[in-house]
Amino acid sequence: MRNSLIIAKRELRERLENRSFIAMLFIGPLLILAFIYFLLQFGDQGKTNMKVLIVDPSGLLENKITSQESKALTYYFYDDYIEIAEFKDGKRFQEFDAMIELNEKVLINKKVFLFYREAPSVDLKMKMKFEVERRVEEVMIEQFTQLSVNAFRQIKQPLNIDFRSVYDPKNEADNSSSWVGFFFGLIILFFISLFGMTVLRGIAKDKSNRVAELMLASVKSRDMMLGKIMGIGWAALLQLFAWTVLVGLGLFVFKSFFFKDIFDASSFEGIQMSEEVKNEILTNSSIAKYNAFIDLIYHRINFWVMMPHFVLLFVLSYLFYASFFSAIGATAGTESDGQQFVIPIFVVLMVSVYAGYLSVYWPDSQLAHLFLYLPFTSAMVILINISNGFAIGSYIETMLSILILIVSSGLFLSIAGRLYKNGILAYGHTLRLRNLLQWLKKY
Amino acid sequence: MIEINQISKSFDRKVALDGLIFQIPKGQIFGLLGPNGAGKTTLIRILNQIILPDNGTIRVDGKLLNESHWKNFGYLPEERGLYKSMKVIDMLVFLAKLRGMSNYDALKNTNYWLDKFDIKEWSNKYIASLSKGMSQKVQFIAAVVHEPEYLILDEPLSGFDPINVELILNELKLMKSEGKSIILSTHNMQSVEEICDDVVLLHKSKLIASDTVENLRSSVKNGLFSIRFSGNMIALANALWTDFELIETKELGNNRFQVLVRKRGERTFEDLINNLMGKLTLEAVEEKLPSMQEVFMSLITKEEVLHAE
Repeated sequence: MRNSLIIAKRELRERLENRSFIAMLFIGPLLILAFIYFLLQFGDQGKTNMKVLIVDPSGLLENKITSQESKALTYYFYDDYIEIAEFKDGKRFQEFDAMIELNEKVLINKKVFLFYREAPSVDLKMKMKFEVERRVEEVMIEQFTQLSVNAFRQIKQPLNIDFRSVYDPKNEADNSSSWVGFFFGLIILFFISLFGMTVLRGIAKDKSNRVAELMLASVKSRDMMLGKIMGIGWAALLQLFAWTVLVGLGLFVFKSFFFKDIFDASSFEGIQMSEEVKNEILTNSSIAKYNAFIDLIYHRINFWVMMPHFVLLFVLSYLFYASFFSAIGATAGTESDGQQFVIPIFVVLMVSVYAGYLSVYWPDSQLAHLFLYLPFTSAMVILINISNGFAIGSYIETMLSILILIVSSGLFLSIAGRLYKNGILAYGHTLRLRNLLQWLKKY
Repeated sequence: MIEINQISKSFDRKVALDGLIFQIPKGQIFGLLGPNGAGKTTLIRILNQIILPDNGTIRVDGKLLNESHWKNFGYLPEERGLYKSMKVIDMLVFLAKLRGMSNYDALKNTNYWLDKFDIKEWSNKYIASLSKGMSQKVQFIAAVVHEPEYLILDEPLSGFDPINVELILNELKLMKSEGKSIILSTHNMQSVEEICDDVVLLHKSKLIASDTVENLRSSVKNGLFSIRFSGNMIALANALWTDFELIETKELGNNRFQVLVRKRGERTFEDLINNLMGKLTLEAVEEKLPSMQEVFMSLITKEEVLHAE
């Protein structure tokens, strides 16, 4: 083990001295942050400045609307009927971007139409909806109650009917939460692909430049392989850590400075809201939902639960897949040989993605259960399950799955060690399945 | 002492080593000879515990060869390999640590050897930037940096210029004088003659000869004698008479000659001296032993003939 650690440290140091690795420590998170920035900045692409004509033939709103001064929305009132075609083509209405049609029975049927020329941004949609709704509410309070507006709003409590399965009374199987697990699973698969290939190329390089023979005279072949896998794994973890910290920092900066409005409901101009309304806006309104990404990264990720599982599964899955990559690297005749054996690994990694997709949409399907116990796909499925939470007693399935992954990793590392031992000093051949089977038998 | 007892190894039904038995005495430079494919590299890998034998045992100073012996062995493989992206000093320290040294000792010994080979200024150069000769020197240091008791060198002189060949040979002689054992696998027969004590000759996975260099050369001697004298060639011809046959003549000037003669029948070195005494002014007479190259060829040919029969 001492020698494995020495080899692992060398591998890590080699990567730390590699400019492209250092560059990727920063470029990767910057690209992700740029992508998130793009989504946040341009995710709400509608019209942001509008003149709105409120058609109110019955004078219900009394030419008033509950709004403070806003540059984004300017309201005008019209006390006669307007046909849509007229609004659309009529010269005198061309200056208006939208028309809100209040029919006479609006207090009964609660139905209002808004016709726009160019789709408003989600922000404006929400603002218009909110302001008109508030004004109509004031009229209703005046007409149907003896209460003041403030008194009415204090006693007004929305009735929330939450539909839940009897099998999941805590609504833990919320589909959107599953995507968090899926997202973490994808990160693992991404890093396995990236660093698995690094393991393969590193071992093939040791073999081709003949340093392997020199080292094997002082270290067991299995320890040498483990050292290589460990060192590259440390580099992967370091990169993952750097990415997590930098992306996390970037998201915090976005939230605190650049996109304050998106997350802070109280910042909506001219709107005084109760806490309930704020919360409702944040959790259920289109503002928070218009970009699922915001919801995913800021509200759905429970880092305290997810991260320990994520790191554990990252390590186990990396060890599991690295055994395949290292076996191919050691048994390949040349550095470029063995490509045909890499394809099946990537196919299996793709199956993992499918397993994740399946577990998000059909978590109770038989196939999803099967994927939970298969070491090739279990990390993805476990993470999705974890993101959904667990009913009491059901964590045992996950523990069993993790146990299978641990045993499988050990088993496949052992098999890879045998292939490594027999293949690392074999030269001048083209890797075939026959070689692999042959070297599996020998020791 | 290393005792090799009934060592056999096969790869896919191809026998690489077939029941080898011999000893490598302590404090010797031991030659491991044989044509390509004889099994030398397989034996070297077994000695280095890179591969295991199918049968047989190896004992080092009475104990079965095991992982604890790694620190006592140094190895210079025929196919040289170092991490090109590493600096010389880092590479050497890394390999020394793999052999069980502490970081401090590894660094100290590395600096000692870099100083000794007068290449201290290469310390911070990347391996990739070294010439082949430089790289060979670094590789040699890698084999000895951890002060092994047993040093296994596979073609250690290839890639070196004559000056560095001399440097390496002198270093090997020095190590021998310090009581270290050196196992030398080479096709450079001149160096075998110069520095090896005992040798074994492998051919087609079998041991076909095992003895001292001198004994092997004597065992295939062909009755040749070298004579340097002053006088004339007629006097020489008379002296040789029918007992010895003149093979080669070289005139050195001023009536001095160097000749090569071969004995006839059962004539001896004493017979030659008796024949020459009083007839020529002798400067030197010596029995001309075959070179190791000739020994090698002779033994292999004999083995091939036996095998054909």
